[in-house]
Amino acid sequence: MTAGPLSLTVNGRSRRLEAVPYSERLLDTLRLRLGLKGTKEGCRSGGCGACSVLVDDRSTLSCLTLAHEVEGSSVTTIEGVAEDPVGARVRDAFEAAGAVQCGYCTPGFVMALTGLLKEEGRSRPFSELLEDLGGNLCRCTGYAAIVRAAAALREGDE
Amino acid sequence: MTAVPLRPDLALKLGGRAIYGIDFELPGMLYGALVPAPIAHGRLTSVDLSAARERPGVVAISADDVSGLTGGHTGDAERPLFARETVVYRHQPVAAVAAPTLAEARAAAASVRVVVEPLPVVSDLEAAFPEWPGSDAAASPRVAAHVHARRGDVDRAFRDAEKVVSETYRTGSVHQVALEPHASVAEVTGDRYTVHTTTQSPFGVREDVASLLGLPEESIVVDGTWVGGGFGGKGASFLEAYALLLARASGRPVRLALSYREEFLLGRTTLPAVVRFETGVTGGRIVARRVRLLLDVGTSLPGRDFATGYSIGFLLGPYTAPAFEVEGYAVRTNKPAFGPHRAPFAPQCAFMVESHLEHVAREVGRDPVAFRRDHLWREGMATPFGQTVGPFGLPSALDSAAELAARWRRDRPEGHGVGIGVGFWSTGTGAGGEARLRLSPETLTILQGEREIGSGSVLVGLAAVAERRSGLPRGRIRVEYADTAHAPYDAGVFGSRTVGALGRAVDDALVRLLATLAERGGATAPLSLAEEGGEIVVRGASGTTPVRALLTAEELAGGGLAAEGKHYGRSGSIDESLVLDGTFYPYTDFTGAAHVAEVDVDRETGSVRLVRYAAFQDVGTVIDGPAARAQVEGAVAMGLGAALTEEAIWSEDGRLLNAGLVDYRIPTITEVPPLDVTFVEGFLGAGPFGAKGLGEPPIIPVPAAVASAVRDATGAHVTELPLTPERVARALKPNEP
Repeated sequence: MTAGPLSLTVNGRSRRLEAVPYSERLLDTLRLRLGLKGTKEGCRSGGCGACSVLVDDRSTLSCLTLAHEVEGSSVTTIEGVAEDPVGARVRDAFEAAGAVQCGYCTPGFVMALTGLLKEEGRSRPFSELLEDLGGNLCRCTGYAAIVRAAAALREGDE
Repeated sequence: MTAVPLRPDLALKLGGRAIYGIDFELPGMLYGALVPAPIAHGRLTSVDLSAARERPGVVAISADDVSGLTGGHTGDAERPLFARETVVYRHQPVAAVAAPTLAEARAAAASVRVVVEPLPVVSDLEAAFPEWPGSDAAASPRVAAHVHARRGDVDRAFRDAEKVVSETYRTGSVHQVALEPHASVAEVTGDRYTVHTTTQSPFGVREDVASLLGLPEESIVVDGTWVGGGFGGKGASFLEAYALLLARASGRPVRLALSYREEFLLGRTTLPAVVRFETGVTGGRIVARRVRLLLDVGTSLPGRDFATGYSIGFLLGPYTAPAFEVEGYAVRTNKPAFGPHRAPFAPQCAFMVESHLEHVAREVGRDPVAFRRDHLWREGMATPFGQTVGPFGLPSALDSAAELAARWRRDRPEGHGVGIGVGFWSTGTGAGGEARLRLSPETLTILQGEREIGSGSVLVGLAAVAERRSGLPRGRIRVEYADTAHAPYDAGVFGSRTVGALGRAVDDALVRLLATLAERGGATAPLSLAEEGGEIVVRGASGTTPVRALLTAEELAGGGLAAEGKHYGRSGSIDESLVLDGTFYPYTDFTGAAHVAEVDVDRETGSVRLVRYAAFQDVGTVIDGPAARAQVEGAVAMGLGAALTEEAIWSEDGRLLNAGLVDYRIPTITEVPPLDVTFVEGFLGAGPFGAKGLGEPPIIPVPAAVASAVRDATGAHVTELPLTPERVARALKPNEP
C-alpha cells in the first residue's frame, strides 16, 4: 500500500484527506493538496527554513516532514497565524519593523519565531532565541529588521 | 477612502496571499521539466524522445523541434535553447517535457535517452587558458572577449619607479541565492503568447522571448508575478521560452519551475577570476599601474564585453593612475554562463584592489588610509580613462570611516582587528523607462511596468518621489503594476536604476501634471498637492482649489487627469584614444561607500567572526530613509557571505559540488553583526532630487573591509576570496602542510 487516508487539523479546521501517498511531504500536502501557497517552497532539503509551519505549536520544517507523520496533529500555517495570539503579535512586529522585503522567507520566519516564543517562554537569553532562528535564511534584509522585530517582541514580553 | 500603506505589499506577504512565480497556477496546466546534459562537454549524438512521448499525456521537444532558435539574450549567447551537436556544460538543457503532474514530468524527463560522446572538459580557469600570458593569448579560441587599454609609456614608468609591487589574486564564484526558484507559467492562444513569470524585467523578457521564438514583440505578453528575490539572477529571460514552447506543443498551459538544486546547476552566477597587479611607486606616490584580468565567463554571455571591460575599470578602483595598462580576457569554460549578481563582480574587484593597495602602502612604509586618500578621485578630476568625476561623496565617506576606524582600533579588545574597505560604483544607467499618472480627487495613481522585487524601490521609492515633488502624502499615492500589454515600457529592476531612472519618469510626468493643473487654475507653478477633508486639493499662490474643480466631467468619470513621463539617461564619455582593443565604458553617477569592520579571528582555526560594522554610503539624496537603510543592511549581509563563506565549487569534470543551501553557505541571523548606517548626502546624482542608486553599491566594499580587518588582527594577507578558515589559517602558518 502506497497511500492512505490522513486526518489532521489545519488552521483550526479538521481535514480528512483520502489516498495521500505515504511518501508525500507535508509541504506538498499544504501547498498542492490544500492550496495553502503561503507556506513557501525553498530548498526542499532543510537548508533554508522557508517552509516552516507549526505542528502542535512547534516550529517544523514541512519539507522534511512526511504528511502522515502529523496524523491527528494541529498544523498552523501563515494563513492561520493571525488566529494565534502569539502569531498575530509576531506578524504585527514584522510589519512594524519592516522585516519584510521580497517576503519569500517571511512566512517561514514568522512561523519559526512564533513556535520558538510559544515553546521557550521568556526564560532563555535573546541570543539563544536568535541561534534557534539560524535555520531560517533571508537574503534581502540582512536580518537587521528581523532582529529588531524579535527584540521588540521580547521587550513586549517583559 | 482608506490610505495606502507605506509598504502596501506587507499585508499580502504577511498574510501568505502574495502569489509568486512558483505559486502561480492556471486551470488545466501541465508541469514541465528540463532534460539535462549528463556531462559537461561532448558531442551530442542522440536525443531520443520516443520513450517519453509514449507516456500518456506527455509532450517532449528538443533542438529538432525548434530549429533555427539560436542566439537571443537568455544568457547562453550563441547557444540554442536546446543543445545541438555539442553540449558545453553539465545540465545544459537538451530537451524539455510536459506532463499532467510534476512527478510524471520528472519521470518522462528521466526516460529521454541522451547520448553524449565525451570531449575534454575544461573547468578550471587557469588550466583553460595555457596560452596566457603569451603574446598571442588574445587569439586563443578560449577567449570570448579581450579588452586592452593603456595610457602613457607604462614600461618606462615601471622602469623608473623606486619600487614595484606585484601580486596575484583569485576570487571564487558566488550565487545570487534568491530564495524563490525561477518559475514560469505559459499559455499560448492562437498567436498570443502569455507568460506569467518571476522576473526583474518583464519588458526584457518580452524582448528576449521575441528574439528566441522569432515572434513579434506585440504577440508576447509578460506578466510579472511577485518576485522572491532577484539580485540579478532574474534579470534576463530563463525558463519563459521553454515554457512557451511546451505550451505551444501541448496546447495546454505549462508550468516550468526549477528545483533549488537546479537553481545552482543552471544558475548564471559570478564565476572565478584571476588578477595580477603591478604597481610602481616613487616617493610614496603611485606612478604606474598594470592590471591583468582573467575572467571565467563559462559558456559566455551576451554581455561578455561589458563584463570584462566594465569590471576591469573597477580593478583600478576609484584611484588615480598616471600611467597605466589594463588587459582583460573573458575565458570560456565548461560551466553555465557568467551572470549578473548584485553589482556583478565589483565586490571581488574591490577586495582585490583594496587589499593590493594596502599591501603596497605597507611595502613602501605608508599608512594605508592616507595612501588611499592621496590617490582617491575627487569631483572635477579626470578618471584614468579621462572622464571627469562628477559629484562624489566617497572622499567624505572615507574620511568618516577612517575617523571611526581609529576610534574602534583604540578600544578594541586584544586580538580583534579593524579594517576599512572602499567600493566604487556607477549608477543611473542609460536604460530608460516611462510612467503614466492619473490624478483623481482621491488618489494619485502611478502606472508602471516594474514588479516590486522586495527592495521597496518600486512601491516605496516611486511613491516617495511623487510625494516629494507634489507634497501629497503617500497615503494618497498608489503605485500600480500592469503586464507588458498594459504598462508603459521600462527596462527593469537592475543596475540600481529604479528610483534613479523610472523615478525620473514619474517626476517628469508629475511636473507635467502640475503644469496642467496650473494652467487650468490660472495659477503659476510651482503648485503642490495636499489632502484636505479626504480629498486632494491643489495649493498655489492664489489659494487652494479642490482637484475635483479642475477636472473635466470626462476625467472625473474616467479615473482622473492623465499625464505621461519618461526618462532615458545618458552616460559621459571616455578617452577612446587609450583603447587598444575591446570596449570600455563610461560612468554615469559616481557613487560609492567606505565601510569599517571589526573582526575577531581564531588564530588556530582561521575562523573569522564579525564583531561590529559601519557603512558610510554616498547616496546623493535619501528618498526614503527606512528603505534606504534596509538596502544597506541587506547588501552588507550579502557581502559578508561573499567575504567569508560563499563559493560555488566545480570539480575538474565540470560538476558543481555544492549545489544546495546546506553546502553553499550564506550568512545566518547570528553571523551578521550590529550595523551602523550613515548616509553621505549632497553629492547629487542624476536621479530625482539628486538621488543615486542604492541597490548595488553597499555590497561592494564588504569583502575588502573584512579582509582589511583580518590583516589588522593577525597580519594574515589573504589573496583569495572567500576568506575561509582554511585560507586564513594557511596565511597565518604558511609553512605548515
